[in-house]
Amino acid sequence: MSRDSDQGHVVEVRGDIPPRETREIKVCDEAPCGFSDAKTSSKDARERAASMRKLMIAVILCVIFMTVEVVGGIKANSLAILTDAAHLLSDVASFAISLFSIWASGWEATPRQTYGFFRIEILGALVSIQMIWLLAGILVYEAIDRLINGTSTVNGFLMFIVSAFGLVVNVAMALLLGHDHDHDHNHGHGHGHGHGNGGDPDHAKDESGDLHIQGLTFTTHHRPHPHPHHHHAHEADHTQPLLEAHTDTETEPTSKTVETKRQRNINVQGAYLHVLGDSIQSVGVMIAGAIIWWKPKWKIVDLICTLLFSVIVLGTTIRMIRNILEVLMESTPREIDATKLEEGLLDMDEVVAVHELHIWAITVGKVLLACHVKIKREANADAVLNKVVDYIKREYNIIHVTVQIERE
Amino acid sequence: MDKSRSFKYYTLANENQSQWNGELGPEMGDRRFAYRRQPSFRQSHEPHTPISIHHNDSTKPMLSRTMSSIDMPDGPLLFEETEVAAGGRKGSRGNLSYFYLVVSFFKAIRSGNRYMKRLLWLISLNVAYSTIELAVGLITGRVGLVSDAFHLTFGCGLLTFSLFSMVASQEKPSRFYTYGYKRLEVLSAFTNALFLLFMSFSLAVEALHAFIQDESEHKHYLIVSAVTNLAVNLVGVWFFRNYARINIVYRQAEDMNYHSVFLHVLADSIRSAGLILASWLLSLGVQNAEVLCMGLVSAAVFMLIMPLCKASGGILLQMAPPSVPSSAQSKCWRQITAREEVSDISQARFWEVVPGHVVGSLRIQVKDDASEQSVLQFVHSLYHDLGIHDLTVQTDVL
Repeated sequence: MSRDSDQGHVVEVRGDIPPRETREIKVCDEAPCGFSDAKTSSKDARERAASMRKLMIAVILCVIFMTVEVVGGIKANSLAILTDAAHLLSDVASFAISLFSIWASGWEATPRQTYGFFRIEILGALVSIQMIWLLAGILVYEAIDRLINGTSTVNGFLMFIVSAFGLVVNVAMALLLGHDHDHDHNHGHGHGHGHGNGGDPDHAKDESGDLHIQGLTFTTHHRPHPHPHHHHAHEADHTQPLLEAHTDTETEPTSKTVETKRQRNINVQGAYLHVLGDSIQSVGVMIAGAIIWWKPKWKIVDLICTLLFSVIVLGTTIRMIRNILEVLMESTPREIDATKLEEGLLDMDEVVAVHELHIWAITVGKVLLACHVKIKREANADAVLNKVVDYIKREYNIIHVTVQIERE
Repeated sequence: MDKSRSFKYYTLANENQSQWNGELGPEMGDRRFAYRRQPSFRQSHEPHTPISIHHNDSTKPMLSRTMSSIDMPDGPLLFEETEVAAGGRKGSRGNLSYFYLVVSFFKAIRSGNRYMKRLLWLISLNVAYSTIELAVGLITGRVGLVSDAFHLTFGCGLLTFSLFSMVASQEKPSRFYTYGYKRLEVLSAFTNALFLLFMSFSLAVEALHAFIQDESEHKHYLIVSAVTNLAVNLVGVWFFRNYARINIVYRQAEDMNYHSVFLHVLADSIRSAGLILASWLLSLGVQNAEVLCMGLVSAAVFMLIMPLCKASGGILLQMAPPSVPSSAQSKCWRQITAREEVSDISQARFWEVVPGHVVGSLRIQVKDDASEQSVLQFVHSLYHDLGIHDLTVQTDVL
């Protein structure tokens, strides 16, 4: 990209242009402008590091348990234990994919990847969800296999024990991956970078003090009390309950979703779903094992339970798949109301029409907007541009806005 | 940029079969959008209707166009019309349109292009075959058949998703899906590629397993099923033979999808062929036949799908479009900054919604207020020549 090295132009700033704009220009030293400025990239880096740490611990735990199971299975010469160890291996693979995605999403943008590597997260999450499905299918197949081939004497008890062990392991990892979103809550509002709209000292709800230093300036957007965002008002009430519920966080179509998803990185979420699915399956196998142990003739229960619980597991992944699909289809994120945005823009005096409005997300939480705004012939294009950009950034928290001003 | 046109194998589809023109009419825009090499036997898809560039017809011309394939009717223009009509759809977020899709699914296919019909045939064949196999496997108690049936069912599911995306991608862009539904094709291509990757890994694991354990008992009675599997997949290969390249350059969305279906059936047939070969070699007494064959098949499938993986992954990752070389980009930038009103250009980002539909955004620093519109027009026309029609240019005045 050809650049003027004429720094004088950058300095010449009119009063009404917020200093932010020139800062963005100055920061872009290389061809593609870094997708986030310094403040958010460090916040991103911190969130990434936290997610990576969690996943790393989960991977290590998995590996430990897997070796235990492999050793035990070889000693006891039991296929059931070995297959469970294989499932743990697939867990490890899935976590490794998530880990890689999180790490990769921190790479700097390059001229070929002008938006940075944030999408890798989404693709990694897609891959790990596919693996969940694959595993569910394999489990069903194995249940059928057991049905055809199984010897009923040893089955029930062994199934029960193995799956109980698996359940304990999975629950431990679920707690690890999902538990601390309470103090991750503060990371959530951080992505509204760049507008210091005054501090909101109202952090009575949050525990860990030092993490919301950066959160201070941005929370006004999400705490509607000092702010005239009437359409956010009713959503603040959901804040606390939203954060409490583990599995509901991904579904609420409110603006809070942006934070709740951000607070738990989508890959960590995917890993959590994976582990949750495994626990559900383990419960199913335990039930089946117990029943078979008690009544060894009812082998069909195994298959029924596996099928049933596989369906449940697939059900838990549906929401996440939907979110992933929406991002990959470049659709308008759920938390942004495009109609309202357009109406808000049209409400402005100088704006005659708005077309080609595209709002899409790079990854959950990073939203971009591009549109063409037609203004009255005599209007001051620059003022309108600033007004529009400001409105969008302020009201909707969209960080990257490109607006083309056209005159009638 | 004036390379010779002799590489273009495409023809204007004017109901002419077996046209292998070296030249294309002048309407065919830009050579910078690389062509796809076709095998030179007859190109047998003339569209059912006269060429139309409107992608809302269900009979879309496939490989030949009167205009450059990147001349899509702007999704956003349709958006303007539909935004009035679709005001009531706000709450449904596409669920309503999916319902319509389900209802009109077969109708769409019946009036759809021939690839859709072929795919439907293929899927039905596969489903029939796998249910028979499953039934036989359950009744006779042979686990190998059941596992094969499962594998086939997974494959069928994927092919169904491909078919669904073919049908769904013809929907007009809606309020929520402002870029339309064509991405579904890229997604289905990516999913197919992923599945094939998984398959290749699992074959490699199987080979490793056979190597370690040195067992080969379950290959024998699978011969019949392998042969039938091969036959079914070869039918699929024949149906999609126009996509019989590994390194196709994708010019439209459907290209990726069809290519992925082709690779899917090809990989399946390679796998069945490998099984047959392995059991034949085993019967001949070759020691590590299974390991060899499975390993070969796994490597072959991996090599096959890598280009598709990369291409579809690139689109999904919003990579800079391969069809717009960076030399063209820098040339554009130079031309823009050469204008006296422009002082700077920054944040130039381009990506592809689907192969062939490039979207971009730019920021330009203009020196004064008055000349904005002329700069805008200039920039748009410059990029229009490159084939980028969806461009948003923000002009900041210093």
